[in-house]
Amino acid sequence: MRSLAAVVASAAVVFPLVPAHAAATTVVDLGGPHAYVRTDAVASLATVDVFVRAGLDRETLEQNGLAALVAESVLRTPVAPAVGAAPIALTDAVDACGASISYAIEPEYVRFSLQGTPESIAAAAPLVARTLAAPSFAAPTLAAARIALGGRIADSEDDLRFVGMQMLRSSYYRDGAGLPAYGNAGSLSALGDAAARAFFAAWYLRGDAFVTVVGRTGPATEAASRALIAALPSGTAAAPSIAARPFGAEPKRIVTHRDVTAPYVAVGFAAPPIGDPDFAATWVMRSVLVGVFERGGATTPSPFFRPVGSMYAYDTAPAHFVLWINGARIDPSTGLGAVIALVKGTATKPLSETVLNRYKETARGEWALETLSLDERAAAIGNAIARGLDADAGDAVPAAISAVTVADVQRVAKKYFQKFDVALVIPREASGG
Amino acid sequence: MKVTRAAIIAALLVCAGGTAGAQTQPAPTGILPGGVMYELRPDPAQSAAAIALWYRAPSGGFDMTPVPGLSRLAAATVAASTPITGTPLSALVGRYGGQLAVEAFADSVAITATVPPDRVAATLRAMTGDYFSPVVTAPGLVAGLADSADDALLRSFGPDAIEDALGAALFAGGPLHDGIIGTSEALAEQKLEGVRAFAARAFRPSNAILILTGNVDTSVLSSVANRAGPAGDAVPEPSAAEVARPAPAARRVDANIAGTGLAWIGPPIADEASATAMDFLADMLFAPKSGAIAKALGTRKASVTGKFVTYHHPGIFVVTISGEDAAAARPIVDQTIAAAIKPLAPGAFAAARAAFTYHLLQQMDAPADIADTFGWYAIEGDPLYAPAEGGTQGRYFRLVAGLSPASVARTAAKYLGPPPAVVTLNHVEHTERRTGS
Repeated sequence: MRSLAAVVASAAVVFPLVPAHAAATTVVDLGGPHAYVRTDAVASLATVDVFVRAGLDRETLEQNGLAALVAESVLRTPVAPAVGAAPIALTDAVDACGASISYAIEPEYVRFSLQGTPESIAAAAPLVARTLAAPSFAAPTLAAARIALGGRIADSEDDLRFVGMQMLRSSYYRDGAGLPAYGNAGSLSALGDAAARAFFAAWYLRGDAFVTVVGRTGPATEAASRALIAALPSGTAAAPSIAARPFGAEPKRIVTHRDVTAPYVAVGFAAPPIGDPDFAATWVMRSVLVGVFERGGATTPSPFFRPVGSMYAYDTAPAHFVLWINGARIDPSTGLGAVIALVKGTATKPLSETVLNRYKETARGEWALETLSLDERAAAIGNAIARGLDADAGDAVPAAISAVTVADVQRVAKKYFQKFDVALVIPREASGG
Repeated sequence: MKVTRAAIIAALLVCAGGTAGAQTQPAPTGILPGGVMYELRPDPAQSAAAIALWYRAPSGGFDMTPVPGLSRLAAATVAASTPITGTPLSALVGRYGGQLAVEAFADSVAITATVPPDRVAATLRAMTGDYFSPVVTAPGLVAGLADSADDALLRSFGPDAIEDALGAALFAGGPLHDGIIGTSEALAEQKLEGVRAFAARAFRPSNAILILTGNVDTSVLSSVANRAGPAGDAVPEPSAAEVARPAPAARRVDANIAGTGLAWIGPPIADEASATAMDFLADMLFAPKSGAIAKALGTRKASVTGKFVTYHHPGIFVVTISGEDAAAARPIVDQTIAAAIKPLAPGAFAAARAAFTYHLLQQMDAPADIADTFGWYAIEGDPLYAPAEGGTQGRYFRLVAGLSPASVARTAAKYLGPPPAVVTLNHVEHTERRTGS
């Protein structure tokens, strides 16, 4: 039987002091660069994200994978966790402090995330700062980094949604922003220490960086923010503007073959980024496109069991939107035909107010669920800053969704959803047919 | 000692100074006037909230002949069934842009909705309405079967299948012996009446634990405070007895995955110090990338998982080994586990404890994760021991702080020293093809 004594005793616990409302983001001057700080007093952990303007768009075609190789090398750099201690990889040293260090490669930025309790962040931040100031690009470090990236490449290849999305990104963006985030085995093996050193020297610059901090913030996270930013060499570098080829300008189907049992179809559309006046209406359109394929299941299905789903890369300008069709769940031709009919129909005939209101409600909720984890919350603030928006721009999206009209949805359907490219991932054994 | 529910409520009134139905702010833990135990942990900084209902119910059902997966099927069926008035819960949560999950364990089942803050009250009303007087319809059962078949299929290809098979090697009877996942074929044979009977017995207010986390207004509890079950519904289900085998068995089973499982019987949840040490050992040995076994395996293509599951009585420590290099990995796993009975050096122990603390906190990030933690420890009978309770100053992490190299080594010797139960899963060609519509 359930422990009744424990139940009774637990009722005596004093309700923790919880602020009634979430605090807005505050801005801290780190001596030029800024930290954007949003406190969650209930959280036990904090995340300190450093956005370095050294993302994919700094790569040339020959350098594909270099942004990831440099970032991974930072994590693999040997560092002595204490005076006299044997050096170990930064990731292990940070883990031993009770924290984690990770990174994400984005079209414009590489985002390093240091996460832990305030105490563990205080212990780990000096190690991360020391490494960011002077990462190792020695052969053993690069070799370890290549192995780690090989794992990441394999993981992304296992998820057909990302395979399709990458095919469309490569077609959409003109330059490095469209390259695979982790490169490939061939490109990585061709990148050596000289390339890594040059990339780091050219783009890891304090003047282009900023920090976002979320969770149990305070003196430890502020000290960490200052240390991490100060570790980067001073300076700035001109940033390239990301250029795109409009989807459907030259209608095409991109095909690849994989060892899968059913085909996957990915349909790519141009889309407005967050902050654009059309963003909220496009987010609603996204809910419409996916929602019409929902079949009234018992629980929220995993992507593996969904007939149709979407990925909206709204954090980059130009942005794009990918609708994927799972051939194991719906006939791909039927699904694609339905998508085309839907986007054309929405452009020519306005949605009814009832339908619009239903999907606006869904869209508002889906937006709220975009930022459940500390990592997602820190990234969202950074994405807003990267787009030149207020740090809390994401908070305004639900109200913007509520204000979307049928005319707005029709406008974005006409503007963004009439031209598209299609990526096909086809089972290998069917390729000869 | 037998304590009536009325007595508990009276005690809570004394301890907490009120109930959730009153105008005052509800206590973080208590029992609603209708008889439902609740845990309320708001965090207004979150963008969403989680509402979870946990029930004590064996996965295989209450009948003499267990049907593994029945609890999940019943919970999914209720979610998909149209109540007398209103909309199926699954459709409602979908319309709100939220997520609805059903997860079954050996002797409990959880239904968790993650929704935006302005839909918490409506979702809470719908969930309590649907699960306190469950409606089971034929279309709901069709949807529930499809959902449970997908879940069973997905889990049958991963480490869950190995863990499931270990139950029968460790126990001669009880929910862990019977298994959790089930098969789509066996579930498809379930009739409406059987699912309805299970739901009526399992999904009662007095058998429920309600958890609210994330961006939730504490006043929402008052809207469901008086919801009660049928007359005479006053007793929660007891935890089912697990009958341990005198000696662990070795078993071979056909499955959708090839692999090996090892399992040991561990301490019950009431032995908090030992249970915490077992959690520590699991993390020290099996943490992805940073654990001792991940490092010992190097670049071998083997997937190895390990965890201690803090059940009411007893807990179990389970290890799964699969992948191309599983055979080569097995001796490394054995040796690394065996080495755990030797105390770590102080520096290494401090690092492992710091890492363990972080890994655990990191698993309690999103509202649904936090709700899971409260639900699990409450249903297993020790809510104050939940790692999410009190953060790093709570009881769980105080016990973590009290661990020492010697105490951990002693616990490892006691529980991981004896030979484990072993299962070997032979991969057989999967014949069930799911090609969608």
